Amino acid sequence: MRGSIPRRPLAKQSDAAAKPAREVVLLIEGLVKRFGETTAVAGIDLSIHAGSFFGIVGPNGAGKTTTLSMVTGLLRPDAGRVFVHGADVWANPAAAKRNMGVLPDRLRLFDRLTGAQLLYYAGTLRGLDRKTVLSRTADLAASFGLEDALDRLVTDYSAGMAKKVALAAAMIHSPRLLVLDEPFESVDPVSAANVTAILRRYVGAGGTVVLSSHSMDLIERICDDVAVVVNGAVLDTGSVNDVRKGGSLEERFVELAGGRKSAEGMEWLHSFSD
Amino acid sequence: MVAQFLGLRLRLLANSFAGGAWQTVGLLVGLAVGLVAAILGVTALVELRDATVTVAGDIVAVAGALIVLGYFLIPLAFGGDDAMDPRKFALFDLPAGRLATGLAVAALVSVPSLAIALVAFAQIATWSRSSGASVLAVLSALLIIATCVLGSRVTTAVAALIVASRWARDVAGVVALLVLAVVVVIGIGFLGVDWSTDGSSVLHSIVVFAGWTPFGAAWSAPAEAAAGHGGTATGQTLVALATVAVLWVLWRVVAGHTIVTKYREVVVKKYKGLGWFDSFPSTRSGVIAARTLTYWGRDPRYHVSLLIVPLVPFVMLIPLMVAGVPTNYLALIPVPVVALFLGWLIHNDVAFDNTAVWLHVVSHTRGSADRLGRAIPTLIIGIPIVVFGSFFCAVLFGDIGVLPSLIGVSLCILLSGLGLSSIMSARFPYPVARPGDSPFAQPQTGGGGSATVQAFSFLLTIVVAVPALALARLGLIEGGTWAWGSLWIGIGVGLLVLAVGIAWGGRIFEKRSPDILAFSMRN
Repeated sequence: MRGSIPRRPLAKQSDAAAKPAREVVLLIEGLVKRFGETTAVAGIDLSIHAGSFFGIVGPNGAGKTTTLSMVTGLLRPDAGRVFVHGADVWANPAAAKRNMGVLPDRLRLFDRLTGAQLLYYAGTLRGLDRKTVLSRTADLAASFGLEDALDRLVTDYSAGMAKKVALAAAMIHSPRLLVLDEPFESVDPVSAANVTAILRRYVGAGGTVVLSSHSMDLIERICDDVAVVVNGAVLDTGSVNDVRKGGSLEERFVELAGGRKSAEGMEWLHSFSD
Repeated sequence: MVAQFLGLRLRLLANSFAGGAWQTVGLLVGLAVGLVAAILGVTALVELRDATVTVAGDIVAVAGALIVLGYFLIPLAFGGDDAMDPRKFALFDLPAGRLATGLAVAALVSVPSLAIALVAFAQIATWSRSSGASVLAVLSALLIIATCVLGSRVTTAVAALIVASRWARDVAGVVALLVLAVVVVIGIGFLGVDWSTDGSSVLHSIVVFAGWTPFGAAWSAPAEAAAGHGGTATGQTLVALATVAVLWVLWRVVAGHTIVTKYREVVVKKYKGLGWFDSFPSTRSGVIAARTLTYWGRDPRYHVSLLIVPLVPFVMLIPLMVAGVPTNYLALIPVPVVALFLGWLIHNDVAFDNTAVWLHVVSHTRGSADRLGRAIPTLIIGIPIVVFGSFFCAVLFGDIGVLPSLIGVSLCILLSGLGLSSIMSARFPYPVARPGDSPFAQPQTGGGGSATVQAFSFLLTIVVAVPALALARLGLIEGGTWAWGSLWIGIGVGLLVLAVGIAWGGRIFEKRSPDILAFSMRN
């Protein structure tokens, strides 16, 4: 499948169209998820090319986590299909999941394991042999600055540390695609820069990163392509430059998301109670 | 304020019925058990109306003291009502006194409180023999209710304060369980006393003591009044009043302290190397087994289940002993019972992972590998226990000839228990305390499924063992080679059920993995 022709050339992505055709490593078709009366995801289509650093931005409750959960096989969609490197995540999960590294948001880790044990566990579940897991654990710990933390229980980690060890666990089997839900939340700026550099190198080598965030600055700075998701639908997608249309991504986003709420009212907040 | 707390309590109670059919069934079962226990108590108390004052007084005082003690201890062992923990209200601007009052009154709205109220009022019927005793009984009823409700609030809150650290919580749980076990053993020991001959003297000396304790005073006072011992009755009423007063002050202090105290910090411990992961092959089943063993050591929630296994046979033996079953036959019981509980240990294993199970889902861990990995630790400790335990017990029994059938029946129960548990934990997980919570904190989304699933997997395990049991019985009666038949049939059936359980359970796990994750997110 490597280097095969994309199923759908994206007309919108003028940058991508100009370059030689790259494989669509993640293809999302008509993804829908309803929870009772509310529709969390209302028909999302995206195709993401190999070697791209793709950001999904949206306000809280836009359906980012729901979408990524369906992409990674954690949540069953009501409609639509997801292909990773040509394999349907829900029909052929073994092949699709092998090519995907996942960092979910707000799910627990096996946190009564030490960092070293957790990485060993994740690597072995991914089918790596002992020697490979141990050498990759050492590499990952060095890159993420986790050496001192490997022998401590993950439950004693700070939120940022736990995020980093989970990110390391998502990469240990060298997947083709990394799906990261809010990877920088509660990570300090130094570590975030460090993680960004790691991800950049990975993308440079042909890997693909799909991450979600509600931080526009961050997405604007590190992503090549972006999709703006509001109320479970993609409002705009394309290269960061195309989407922001001259302004900052944040301005464009606020415009797409329905404008700034008027800050009037709530005058009571300005007369303080004792 | 009090009305708001009551309203909140009622709404919590009503909402717990909105959690799906399983949960409603569970709540109704809990309600039914509570009511049946209360009705039994009420009936007994009303019947005691016709007994002599001495007999009725003795029984009421001892039983009552034990009931009150239970209200103090059970929240320690099994966790109280977390939803009304004073800490939850710490961020509201409430004076501690009003908070304490509100929470105490709200605590009246629960099945245990309703049960004790019924029993406490029934006790008035027992003592409506003279006007003095009746009046005292009414006062006692109120004091009993107050003692039980405040007592359980205080022990729950104190437990939550002391037990905030991981280590202390662990130890406290174990200690509370042991104390309860001792209480049960003592209670059953009472059954062994020959009541017709030396019963009353034994009981009466206990009554004299119990009547002056904070637990029994309120129960004993009306009896003493009915017997005409005005001084004793007054004294015991004062003890009961003082108990309620002290409990109120304690509750007030503990509640006030709780809302200004943060959880204790946990000392960070370092571990060397990969622990159990070094001892297992680096396959999927291997690491899952190593992870399970690691959790058995580090997660207090598992300690409780592991501790129950060796305790159960002893608790079971005592009533049988009292009932006069020959001692050597009793030797045949512990090993199969331990095997039953070992096989049952993992019947809800997935729920203990909580949402961490996502790692198995995204790495497309084969269901059968998952099931097998979770069963391996139990096999590793279970098989030696069964083999050596059977040998020891066969010697105790006095005929080594039962060894094959003892091993056969026990292995059959252990293996098929593991197989059935592998299916149950994939198909019917039910909520448990979350990782890091107290092992005794029952989840708010109460266990409706739990009782049914537990009972069903027990029953099925025993049904599967029937052939091996039948052959073992023949071996006991007729001797000869029947015992060997039991061994081979037992092992055969056990292995078959285990294999089917792992394969089928594995398929269920793969198919339902998103549903299992969704379940754990609701938990």
